[in-house]
Amino acid sequence: MEEKEEGGHERMMFVEAENAEAIIARIEHKSRQVERLLRLSRHTEALKTALEDSPTRTKDERCKSANWIVVHRVLMASKDVDAVFISLDPEYYDILMKYLYKGLATGDRPTCDQCLRLHEKLTEKAGLGCIVRALADTTNTV
Amino acid sequence: MAAVAAHQLGQCITCHAWNADLSMVAVCTNNNEVHIYRASPDGNSIWDRIYILQKHDQLVSGIDWGTRLNKIVTVSHDRNSYVWSLEGTEWMPTLVILRLNRAAICVKWSPRENKFAVGSGAKSVCICYYEQDNNWWVSKLIRKKHNSTVTSVAWHPNNVLLATTSTDGKCRVFSTFIRGVDTRDSTVGPSGDMKFGEQLVQLDLSFSWTFGVKWSPSGSSIAYVGHNSTIYFIDDVGPSACAQTVAFSGLPLRDVLFLSERVVVGVGYDCNPMLFIADNRGTWSFVKFLDEKKSSPASSKYGSQFSEAFGKFYGQAKHGANIDAVEPSKAPGGSHENCITCILPLPYPGETTVKRFSTSGLDGKVVIWELSNLNNLFSQLAI
Repeated sequence: MEEKEEGGHERMMFVEAENAEAIIARIEHKSRQVERLLRLSRHTEALKTALEDSPTRTKDERCKSANWIVVHRVLMASKDVDAVFISLDPEYYDILMKYLYKGLATGDRPTCDQCLRLHEKLTEKAGLGCIVRALADTTNTV
Repeated sequence: MAAVAAHQLGQCITCHAWNADLSMVAVCTNNNEVHIYRASPDGNSIWDRIYILQKHDQLVSGIDWGTRLNKIVTVSHDRNSYVWSLEGTEWMPTLVILRLNRAAICVKWSPRENKFAVGSGAKSVCICYYEQDNNWWVSKLIRKKHNSTVTSVAWHPNNVLLATTSTDGKCRVFSTFIRGVDTRDSTVGPSGDMKFGEQLVQLDLSFSWTFGVKWSPSGSSIAYVGHNSTIYFIDDVGPSACAQTVAFSGLPLRDVLFLSERVVVGVGYDCNPMLFIADNRGTWSFVKFLDEKKSSPASSKYGSQFSEAFGKFYGQAKHGANIDAVEPSKAPGGSHENCITCILPLPYPGETTVKRFSTSGLDGKVVIWELSNLNNLFSQLAI
């Protein structure tokens, strides 16, 4: 029984390793789209694109950090924090909160300042439940 | 639609239970005793303490009062359970050895009251039944199914199926068929063939602790809550089950109650019961908070417990100092002033929809709620 499980686990790891390249390719594609949207000053759309299809399921750190770089790029480019939230749909709140906590965890001063500003706005919109979900979910991490 | 009465019975209430005609309530005030009050759900009633049940050595974590046979079952962190029966004017305890090596957490009588289920910290569930021949309560364990503490148990109306929630994040349904106690004809549908301890369903919807599982009155739906501010509804439990996840903006819930097949009340850390309703198409959604005295915690002001912490959090980012200017914490000002951990129905005789219920929590209060204008609310929502 145990051996069988081991085998299954290995197979899963193999699939994940294969997928990692595909995930990174998708993130690179996303990154180009985000850059284009930022040049057009369409910050909310850029944020949505960056947050969409975030690699939360994979355990591969390369995928996670590649996506974080894209999200971070958008977060730091958003000067008018209120405007970002006006047209951001609630479905993005939970994933954005996770990235804000990731930003706060970096300890980098400008990143933390920006993440705190966004955190205040997001908490107003999404409530404490959103924070609880970001902290409680140890399976789907960013 | 609001609180009818609030009774302060101690500093903190771990659990409470009502007798059949709602003339007495048993509460545990966060110690090893169970206090029984002469009580009434009416607004202006005065409650008197009439019995103290003293037998447990440690915190009483669960009480259930059987409405058919008038027996009280209690479980405690001391790993034992007592079944109390009223003989004359005295409550006489019978020890039930659960055979656990960790604390008992919760207890519920089965609908026919010939069995009771105990959830425990030993990653197991005890199903206890009375053996006539030996004059003794026997505990049968469902082992190796849960990966963590069992936080809540709920009986299906057919007296065989048991739903559990656990801190491993899952909700499960087991068969508790015991030969000689249950008869085959008492079981409905596929559960009739199930052996004791067989797992029928495992719901893997939550990524955090789960609490407060309940079956709907007909036994076709299950509701339970996750510690990630999410409530889960499973309709048509079985092969063609339909699961819905409702995330809300407030703090997590601890317990739920079905008022009818389509109406659920959840209670928890927001100290204010939340009403969930399924619409015509069966889609569940959060409707409103029931305590009207308070503003919604989702508003920008936050619950006062948090304003201080948030002030520090944001204050530092903006000004780097000036933390002292933030207002200190105040009581929220609702019927409950701390987390609500327990909700029980107070049915009117002959009515199928529950319109009255009681809640207890960490603030030491038992609060009675009355939903008089539930029908108005339905017509507003066009259900």
